[in-house]
Amino acid sequence: MVDEGELERRIREIGGALERALPSRARHPVRSLDERAMQLASEDAELKAALFRFVDVTPACRSLDDLSRHLAGFLGEVEQTPPPLRVAMRMAETGPGRAVLGAASARGVRHMAHRFIVGESPRAALGVLGGLWDGGAASSVDLLGEATVTAAEADRYAVRCSDALETLAQACAAWPERPALERDSAGPLPRANLSVKVSALTPLLRPEAPEVGRDDAARRLRPLLRRARDLGAHLHIDMESLDSLETTLELVFELLDEHELADGPSAGIVLQAYLRDSAEQLDRILAWARASGRRPALTVRLVKGAYWDHEVVEARQHGWAPPVFEDKRESDRNFEALTRRLLDARPLVRVAVASHNLRSVAHAIGYNRTRGGADEDLELQVLRGLGDDLLHALTRQDLRVRAYCPVGDMVAGMAYLVRRLLENTANDSFLSEQARGADLDRLLAAP
Amino acid sequence: MNPFSNEPVLDLRRGEVRESLTAALTGVERSLPLRVPVLIGDQSGAGEGIESLDPGRPSRVVAVAGTASASDVDAAVTAAGRGHREWGGRSAEERAAVLLRAAGVLRARRAPLAALQVLECAKPWAEADADVCEAIDFLEYYARQAVELAAGRELIQVPGERNTMTYRPLGVVAVISPWNFPLAIPCGMVAAALATGNAVVLKPAEQAPGSALMLAEALREAGVPAEALALLPGYGEAGQALVRHPGVHAIAFTGSGAVGLEIVRTAAETPDEQGHVKRVVAEMGGKNAVIVDSDADLDEAVPAIVRSAFVYAGQKCSAAARILAHEAIADPLLERLAGAVEVLRVGQAGTFGTDVPPVIEREAQERVERYAALAGAEGRVVARQDELPEPGFFCAPTVACDLPEASAVLTEEVFGPLVAVERVGDVEEATDRIEASPFALTGGLFSRNPRTVELVARRSPVGNLYVNRHITGAMVGRQPFGGNRRSGVGAKAGGPDYLLQFVGPHVVTENTMRHGLVVE
Ligand SMILES: Cc1cc2nc3c(=O)[nH]c(=O)nc-3n(C[C@H](O)[C@H](O)[C@H](O)COP(=O)(O)OP(=O)(O)OC[C@H]3O[C@@H](n4cnc5c(N)ncnc54)[C@H](O)[C@@H]3O)c2cc1C
Repeated sequence: MVDEGELERRIREIGGALERALPSRARHPVRSLDERAMQLASEDAELKAALFRFVDVTPACRSLDDLSRHLAGFLGEVEQTPPPLRVAMRMAETGPGRAVLGAASARGVRHMAHRFIVGESPRAALGVLGGLWDGGAASSVDLLGEATVTAAEADRYAVRCSDALETLAQACAAWPERPALERDSAGPLPRANLSVKVSALTPLLRPEAPEVGRDDAARRLRPLLRRARDLGAHLHIDMESLDSLETTLELVFELLDEHELADGPSAGIVLQAYLRDSAEQLDRILAWARASGRRPALTVRLVKGAYWDHEVVEARQHGWAPPVFEDKRESDRNFEALTRRLLDARPLVRVAVASHNLRSVAHAIGYNRTRGGADEDLELQVLRGLGDDLLHALTRQDLRVRAYCPVGDMVAGMAYLVRRLLENTANDSFLSEQARGADLDRLLAAP
Repeated sequence: MNPFSNEPVLDLRRGEVRESLTAALTGVERSLPLRVPVLIGDQSGAGEGIESLDPGRPSRVVAVAGTASASDVDAAVTAAGRGHREWGGRSAEERAAVLLRAAGVLRARRAPLAALQVLECAKPWAEADADVCEAIDFLEYYARQAVELAAGRELIQVPGERNTMTYRPLGVVAVISPWNFPLAIPCGMVAAALATGNAVVLKPAEQAPGSALMLAEALREAGVPAEALALLPGYGEAGQALVRHPGVHAIAFTGSGAVGLEIVRTAAETPDEQGHVKRVVAEMGGKNAVIVDSDADLDEAVPAIVRSAFVYAGQKCSAAARILAHEAIADPLLERLAGAVEVLRVGQAGTFGTDVPPVIEREAQERVERYAALAGAEGRVVARQDELPEPGFFCAPTVACDLPEASAVLTEEVFGPLVAVERVGDVEEATDRIEASPFALTGGLFSRNPRTVELVARRSPVGNLYVNRHITGAMVGRQPFGGNRRSGVGAKAGGPDYLLQFVGPHVVTENTMRHGLVVE
């Protein structure tokens, strides 16, 4: 048992220190411009819909003309257009106007994309990754791509992953030593770190037949795990919507239990706290870890979950009770409960807490310290583009933080970008509350 | 009555749900073959004559059904005439209560009813379960609609005159149903007729008498009088005799265009001894097209097309048969579609994860093969699975392209797992081609431009247009379903106008003036 009052005091202290360590917004004029656009969008639902539909379609437009026609089409559905957008609509009425408007808006979208996507390829991303490392942060690369609907696409994704492992492992070897990022009390931590998605590894995800996707994805994931082992890299298997949860868990457990993978690579999975039955999933994960005894220990990345709208809509359309909490605070509370269970379960698992919520993060750090855990045995993770400020603050506190860095071209990245933008402007997200200037006490209050 | 809501389908992601279905399947398997008698009033005939087979294992007889004779048809219609007087004399609320009870009976038997469809029609689980849910929805929806309808309509009232408008049942409704939605479609037509006070004579497809028996039993158990609902298993002749019978007031039919037009013709003959003109509600075939514009998101379009064209082996009247692809994306679309079709899982309907089950019967298998061969001869086949499971009436899922515009593959309904891709210069050209087709049931559009969506919605002749999603799986109350042109006559099933086809309007105008005074 912990002294809750004492813990709360500590969370305030840690949260306050992190807040003070956040880079001041004034020093990033460009970023704050982006944020103003986001702000505008989050205040007007119609405008937000128009802008996001526009961003979404950008890579599919054949010309600047086509692009501005789309923009005008979306804006035409907004009832109260702000003055600058009215100008845009007038521009869209003529050919030359459309060319200018198209070029300007394409630039705008590309600019936004660059905030979240670190490069077109792993090689192109090495500069950013090296820069992060020099600044005291580790990274995990995520290869963006179109949805996998064919076997050839799954194969291509697997090849890209394998190449990325190679590129990363090679480049990382030249990085300077940073003990805080390369070890915890359980042993060494790989520098090269790749996150992969099961839905990209197989076109055969069948929610009603998890074994079908599992077997097909296993054919491609197994060689990747081998490769990661041989290169000394970490492979993290992301979690997606509930449709693939069973497939993903079974896949990871089964492969990691295979004899040839018994001593490596370092691998990880994801637990989503917004799921009502996430506690039982954690039971399963821990039971597996206990039974398998595999080393290095499985890393569990705790997140709230990125598919909230999807899960709720899917459930509502089918007449099911949503599998996720419907009150944001319940997700936040459950996130803290699972944080505690995970930290208490060490060294059976390694723990990575992934959130941009100052409270959730401060809680993890505070609980760990209260229980006498070392900072090095808790990893914090953020998304590139959304958690940059927090990353900066965490590195200044000498905490281990890893940035999740998507890599890919515009076409491939658009779905990811739109998802991040939506998340950032969702009304009850921590980041938009923070952007609206909510005070620190409120931001750090227990959920 | 609480407001209508759709019966939730099962969440097949859950292992325990799948296990309960598998257990139900074993239970139903043990009870085979089912005996499906001719049911007329209290009389129950012999259940022999027709055998319905498991399309995935044709040596297994799922049901043995009687074959209704001409005299059975006559007896059924005569009994229904009596049944109508009793049943139609009840209040709409009383009838609604019976239908809601029937919905409850089906609800209590969801797993075995779905299992029966897996066996009798090779419907994969998700589809079979959805069919049972839709049947329940029709009962729940029409029961409520009928109560609303019974209140009549508001008319203009002036002093000294009272005007009322009410609806009365037509009398005897013949329902002729297909096998592809073996419970939902007969249930929808029967429920609409019963809810409005008609008596029904049901002639189900010879391929699926088992599900029809389940429906009749549920309705009778719930309190539909025996004479208000007869079951006439049989072949086409029984249906023809029924359509021709002068005691029938209306015919509700879902099935092929050829049979539908034959019904329209026969029903129009009005012999002297027949004191009414028959009404026909017919849902017929389609040749449904999906337009994919240059700005479509192929990540979504490809899976949605695959689902629209290949789920239940394409044996839905709403299934996608033609893809009209903008030339700017036609190549990547073809490549991805072909790849997606190559990995489809062709297998038994009872196996979870099966995408493409066998088709209903050998004749269907041969028909699909003929069109596939034609597609290869006249155009190019870009995807086709060569290895098919045995036994069972399996057809290889096929994608074809480069077909001449007049090819039968592009103009005739195949009703199987075959889809053809055509290139178009732009969306206008695509809508022109659709405009030229005599079919107008469902259609699809993938575009992210609101103006394109508007344009296609305005020009498309189809009954149901789906934008940026799959084009099958209409839900009662959410997507009232039915076609235009040669795809159907009548109002949309599961929608607010449907019941009007089963009633006749009656207006009463009463003079309320007496001796110069208004007496109300
Ligand atoms: C490094 C990293 C890796 C990630 N990997 C994954 C992954 O593999 N799989 C995955 O699904 N997600 C992943 N995410 C995303 C994550 O799940 C969250 O979407 C995101 O981090 C926002 O949560 P937060 O704690 O930062 O912000 P907060 O603003 O505190 O929380 C927002 C989250 O709360 C939840 N929520 C929102 N509204 C409600 C509501 N009404 N009721 C209940 N809950 C609600 C949602 O999960 C939403 O994302 C990752 C995030 C990071 C930082």
